[in-house]
Order: sequence, then structure tokens, then C-alpha cells
Amino acid sequence: MIYRRICAALLPLMLSACASDPAPNEQLRLTEQALSQAKALGMAAEQSASLRLAEEKLVLAQAAMADEDYKQARVHAEQAELDARLAEAEHLTGKSQQQLAELSNAINRLRKQLGGLQ
Amino acid sequence: MKPIQLNLLGLAASVLLAGCASSHNSSDQALQAAHTAFQQVKEDADVLRSAPKDLIRAGESLAKADRLSSYWGSADDVSHYAYLSQQYSAIAKQKSALNLNQERAVKLELERQRLQLALREAKLLSVQDQSNWLEEQMVSLATIQSERGLVMTLGDVLFDAGHSDLKASANRTVLKLVQFLQFNPRRVVRIEGYTDSRGDAQENLELSRARAQAVADVLVDLGIDGKRIEVQGHGESFPVTENASAKGRAQNRRVEIVFSDEQGNLGSSR
Repeated sequence: MIYRRICAALLPLMLSACASDPAPNEQLRLTEQALSQAKALGMAAEQSASLRLAEEKLVLAQAAMADEDYKQARVHAEQAELDARLAEAEHLTGKSQQQLAELSNAINRLRKQLGGLQ
Repeated sequence: MKPIQLNLLGLAASVLLAGCASSHNSSDQALQAAHTAFQQVKEDADVLRSAPKDLIRAGESLAKADRLSSYWGSADDVSHYAYLSQQYSAIAKQKSALNLNQERAVKLELERQRLQLALREAKLLSVQDQSNWLEEQMVSLATIQSERGLVMTLGDVLFDAGHSDLKASANRTVLKLVQFLQFNPRRVVRIEGYTDSRGDAQENLELSRARAQAVADVLVDLGIDGKRIEVQGHGESFPVTENASAKGRAQNRRVEIVFSDEQGNLGSSR
């Protein structure tokens, strides 16, 4: 009798954990936005592993949407969004690193010229 | 419910559990990695300053993953939230690096501007030095005549007798003159030609003028604005010494260059 009660209580819980979610339309919109924002910086997937991951996961999410597997669609879309945001952040950091290098070069050249004058 | 049914139910439950728990090991690893990543960034004051929101989201996702890991059958969700947390940590780290780079770039930019200014000043100084040096040179070539200002004399040797063309030996002096005028853009000059008293006075007047013009032409050829140059021929007037001896006559055959002051005011002409 006790087993029966436990089972009766557990089953719906387990079922609900695996049950289907609502369609993650908003999340997909966010993901696509994050991706296009990263691409607007002129990034190419060949140069960024994160961007490549984001694109692959967006494709998976869209496929899951088509299959009405909304849970998987949400998982892929959420991950793709963060992959795209990471790609963007990495790109900007790389750019700033480049800028620092150029500034250091300019400063070194100036120092050299000043040294030559003195 | 009969025991068989009960067993069936138990079997179904275990199948469900197994289905959801298949990736338990990998979710443990993901959770571990997310914890490590979060640990690194959360104690970094720069990250906290640069990307507080991403840091908070990394923490929230990690807490969710932790909570889910204590439930059966949620390994995939644990992996998912652990992944999200790890990505948030990575984003926070990148943003912090970006912020530090930008701050450093501002400092370097200031340093660059300071050095540019210093370089420009140093170059200007060397030009001024050069200009001062030239001025000294010019003054050493010229003499101060109180009523006419600074006067430089190009001697007879710079021209062939009876000709108005400048000889090549005049080049050095003329070049110095050009440089001096370039460094002193407001100064203007009056170029005056003189001859000795031998020969026809009218011819002498023309020759003196032609020689003065020859000097002016060279200055214009070397880039001095013609408007800054006045040309006069005085012929045999205003000798500097007697015309009786060859030496005296040679001294009287000359071209004088009268400089204005730094404001461009020339002394009145003779």
C-alpha cells in the first residue's frame, strides 16, 4: 500500500520533468538577435569557434522547433545565445588587444624619434 | 492493485529514471567545470566591476544546476545550466579583459599625445635653433647701418665685370639669404645695385639695376615671394669709398641687400 502511494506520487513528478514545454519563440528571437549582433561586427564563423557553435546550435534549435520538441529547442537556443555573446565579447577583446599593440608601437616609434633628436 | 501491476509500475519508473539519468557522469563533469570557472571570476574584482550582471547570471545558473543535481533524472538539465553558467563566466571574463584593455588604451593614448607634443616641440626648437644660427650668420655677413637697418653687401667678385649674371660662387650666400627669408616670413628686402664711377653714368645706372634684379630673380627662383623684394639701381651714386684706386672702385661695385625689421618695415630708400 505504501509503495503504491509512493509510486502514485512519483510518476506524475517524473513525467512532468520530461514533459514538453511551451514553444520558446522569445528565446529563439533573442538567440537570432545575439547572432546577428555578433555577425554585424564582421566576424566569420571560420575565425571563431564560439560563433560556429552558436550557429550549429541555432540550426539544432530550429530543427527541434520543427519537430515540436520545445524543450530541446529551448536548450539549444539558450546555449546558442550565450555562445554568440561570448563570440562577440571575444572578438571585442581581441580588437582592443590589437589596438593596444598599435598604440605601443606608435609610442615606441615616437620615443625613438625623440631619442634621435636629443 | 495486484503485485504484478505494482511490479510493472516499478519497472516503468526505473525505465524512466534510466532514460533521464544516462548522462549522469558527464553532467557531474560539466558541473565541476562550471564551478571552477565561476570560482575564478567571482573573486576577480575587475570582473565584478566590469560585468556584474553576467557574474550574477553565472552564479544563478550554477545554483540551478546544483539544485537540479540533487534530483534524480535531471542530468541533462544539470549539464545545460552548468554550460550556461560556464559561458556566463567566460563572457564576464572577456568583458573584464576588454574593460582593462580599454582603460589601458586611454592611458597609452594620452602618453602618445604627450610624446607627439614633445616631439613637435623638439623639432620646433631645432628649427628655431637653426633659425637663430642663420640669423647670427646673416648678421655676421651684414652690417648694421643705423639709418637703413640691417644691410648685407654682395661684393663685386660675385659678378663678372660689365655683366649682370651672378657667378656660381654667389650660391652659398644667396642660399643663406633664402633660408633666412624663409625663417623670417615677415621680413622684406630691398636689393640695391651700385657701380663705380668709370664709364657712362646712364649705362652704370642700368648695370646696377640689372645686377640687383639678377639677385632678386635668383631669390624668386628659390621660392621667395616676389612681393617681398624691392629692386633699385643707384649707378655710381653713394660710393662707399673713393673711386680713385682700383681697390676703391672694386668696393664701390656692389649689390646691397637692405632687410626690413621683423614686422616688415623697410627703412626709406635713398
